[in-house]
Amino acid sequence: MSRRTRRYRQRIYEALDDIRRQNALHRFGDAYLAARNEAFSGLDFDELRREIAVMKDTVREDWQTHVDTFIRQAEKSGAAIFVAEDGQAANQYITRLAQRHGARLAVKSKSMAGEEIELNPALEAVGMRVVETDLGEWIVQLAGQRPSHMVMPAIHLFRDQVAELFGKVTGAAESDDIAHLVEVARHTLRKEFLEADMGITGANLAVVEDGSLALVTNEGNARLVATVPPVHVVLVGIDKLVPTLEDAARILKVLPRNATAQAASSYVTWIRGPAPAPNRQRELHIVLLDNGRSKLASSDKSRDAWRCLRCGACANVCPVYQAIGGHVFGHVYVGAIGVVLTAFLHGLEAAAELIQACIGCRACVEICPADIDLEHIILHLRRRLAEKEGTGKVKGVVFKRILRNRRLFHGMLRSAARMQKPLTDATGSIRHLPLFFSPLTEWRTLPAIAERPLRDLLAEEPCIFAPRLRIALFGGCAAEFVLPQIGLAMAQVCRHLNIELVYPETQSCCGIPALYAGDVETAAELARQNVKALTESEIDAVVTVCPTCTSALVRHFPELLADDPVMAERTAELAAVTQDAAAFLSKQLDNLPPLNHPAIPHTVTYHDSCHLRRGSGVFLEPRKLLKSAGWSLKEMNHPDRCCGFGGSYSVLGQPAIAKAIACDKLQDIMGTGAETVAADCPGCLMMLRGLLKKRQLPTEVAHSVELLAACLP
Amino acid sequence: MTTSVHLLEQFCLAASRAGAKTVRSICPATAADYIVRHAGGAIMLPDFPSARRLDLAALLQAHGGKVQSGDLLRTSCPAEAGITGANFALADTGTVVIESTAQEVRLASTLPERHFVLLHPAKILPDHMAAVPLLRQLHRRRSPDFIAFITGPSRTADIERVLTIGAHGPRELHILLLEELSDDFLEC
Repeated sequence: MSRRTRRYRQRIYEALDDIRRQNALHRFGDAYLAARNEAFSGLDFDELRREIAVMKDTVREDWQTHVDTFIRQAEKSGAAIFVAEDGQAANQYITRLAQRHGARLAVKSKSMAGEEIELNPALEAVGMRVVETDLGEWIVQLAGQRPSHMVMPAIHLFRDQVAELFGKVTGAAESDDIAHLVEVARHTLRKEFLEADMGITGANLAVVEDGSLALVTNEGNARLVATVPPVHVVLVGIDKLVPTLEDAARILKVLPRNATAQAASSYVTWIRGPAPAPNRQRELHIVLLDNGRSKLASSDKSRDAWRCLRCGACANVCPVYQAIGGHVFGHVYVGAIGVVLTAFLHGLEAAAELIQACIGCRACVEICPADIDLEHIILHLRRRLAEKEGTGKVKGVVFKRILRNRRLFHGMLRSAARMQKPLTDATGSIRHLPLFFSPLTEWRTLPAIAERPLRDLLAEEPCIFAPRLRIALFGGCAAEFVLPQIGLAMAQVCRHLNIELVYPETQSCCGIPALYAGDVETAAELARQNVKALTESEIDAVVTVCPTCTSALVRHFPELLADDPVMAERTAELAAVTQDAAAFLSKQLDNLPPLNHPAIPHTVTYHDSCHLRRGSGVFLEPRKLLKSAGWSLKEMNHPDRCCGFGGSYSVLGQPAIAKAIACDKLQDIMGTGAETVAADCPGCLMMLRGLLKKRQLPTEVAHSVELLAACLP
Repeated sequence: MTTSVHLLEQFCLAASRAGAKTVRSICPATAADYIVRHAGGAIMLPDFPSARRLDLAALLQAHGGKVQSGDLLRTSCPAEAGITGANFALADTGTVVIESTAQEVRLASTLPERHFVLLHPAKILPDHMAAVPLLRQLHRRRSPDFIAFITGPSRTADIERVLTIGAHGPRELHILLLEELSDDFLEC
């Protein structure tokens, strides 16, 4: 482990010790989702965000022309424009401007771009005093910190801490009453507004058609910053350009709803040129900031991040953010978009640990108002990082030498099944590991490798004559070697449906572990092996019992083999016929014989696996399956929140964060009082079983196909 | 219900949800009385067409109001209230749109504790998209310009996410609906 990684681990441990902050971020996440749903009621979020994506893409494709037109229009309104290639150029322009005006005090309203280029230290270096006026930003400034959230900079601090910080400014003991604290800020900062020589704001939108700027705020500080001081500087990224006022209106409909669950923010201020003041000349300077944005625009795999509206929602719903906060899961920009922006605006090295800290649950993708597939981009960045730094010695050997060779890989798993016996209990779990492996079983048992793999067990299943359909089962490593009972249950259900289930012999690992670690070569080799294995004989469908495997077959294989002239077509055909077991079976339920519904309806709660719900959009189907089998379904809180498994994330990657996320899930499960928790992903099942067992809780864990099979006559 | 009545209802509901107070169907004298009673001190009154049309300064003074005008940044005592007109409003969000290019309009709507907005009830548009052509016209009519879309009072939730009214701008937003105002959407 590198020193950088060790240092980052240390920061994670420290963050995880701060229970008060974690609780606050969890409460925030819950309240946000509820209020946001309300704010979007009656609106088609998906349609709105697709419109925004298309519009922002047109600007990205030809950003230089848009910049040029914007400059012409803004100059007509009397503004001075400076295009800053990087932060240094922007800082230099602004400090020189300040010096030219003899400015001593600058008031600022919140600008993430200002944070990005470290504008405050640059101004302070030339002897200026800089005062942040957004309440949260001021608090953070007084604390000598940086924002831990793009929209709520001081979300990591509490009223008593704020009172202490304010007390140092006023020289009096301030009560921690929030209304009082807001009043202290209003009173103290009012003087600064009136005395400032320069006002600095960001902008949420820069409109190409007429060179206007829009500022979205709730407090009203940006209006004062833009009104009172004689010089107003607007620092705005070139990615904030939109072609027309209609485009701006579209964004203004979505931005406040997604950022703060408001139909409209208190103030949207439109500025074109320097608004006049009696008896003096005011100036408006617009600094258009590139600083890596044009590089982002031309990046083949990451360019969608250009669309970002800076609403902060990806952090709000992120289980990693909720566990460790924005100072650890962020650089200047935080959360999922922070990972991507950091890589482009501050460099891959600055983003390296953040890239590995993402668990890949796709909660951010679902909430993004610009339809950015953040998980996909972060995966790509992980690949770039692996190219630069390697995947680590252990993973390197495992992926290249073992995983690519199915016989070797499967052979090793079979012997491991024999060797682990002294560690395995009657239920097939490993409760304790010796020596330095012991932290792995500290908070959850690990599943043992099954005595006989799925392919051996399926070989003993009876044949079906004259089947209605013929499907191939893609087992995946977990269902093949750890939880073969899931595959057997699938076979039983199929038999009752008069469907022939075949298990193509040469199928192997889907390659996701290698892909997620950034080893694309191994992933592509495995994709090739699996496409061959699964397309050799005539079948009606390929069904998986692991949604992560589904995402490999449907989404990643076509990408990995896109340039392979021989395989591309077969891969696309495979992707078209592949689906998750629940999705497949939910359409077959009418063909089942009458089921033996449980006499006393057993209560089942259902956990939505990230890759099933957000990867395949499948969440109604497994519930339908369970209900039709007669189980009584009781929903848990946050059913679609990640369980913390994340593949190797919970074992090698970030076990401490995984544990925190898993414990949240455990709480939600126990809150239902259900006797059984169902899920459709072997990874989730292993995680949940391990958690429950370690705490000796009686709750059963089962794949929904197993629960369906249990009711077969 | 006619469209305009419907829009008015929708506007008033949305504005009150956003924390603004709407006062409907009043005459200029009652409006002046209302403002003076709620102002809590000196009143900033910038120059705008509807104020001239109503001779608002005289009306306010007749009801006992202490009126400030001119270069509001240089006045010695801070005003407790500010009055502006509204060019138009948006029904879906309860937003008032105020052309605020003149510094005194910007200050009157920003600095005081209370902001009173005079709005003609016929100047309510369904939403922001419907207002775009007007925004475009306002942008083109003069240069530079400064246009404020205001929805409810100033607010913050930056400390522990607790919603607190009155961060840096007005703590109260009163919207007075009067028919005696300019009915030109490009004018306050």
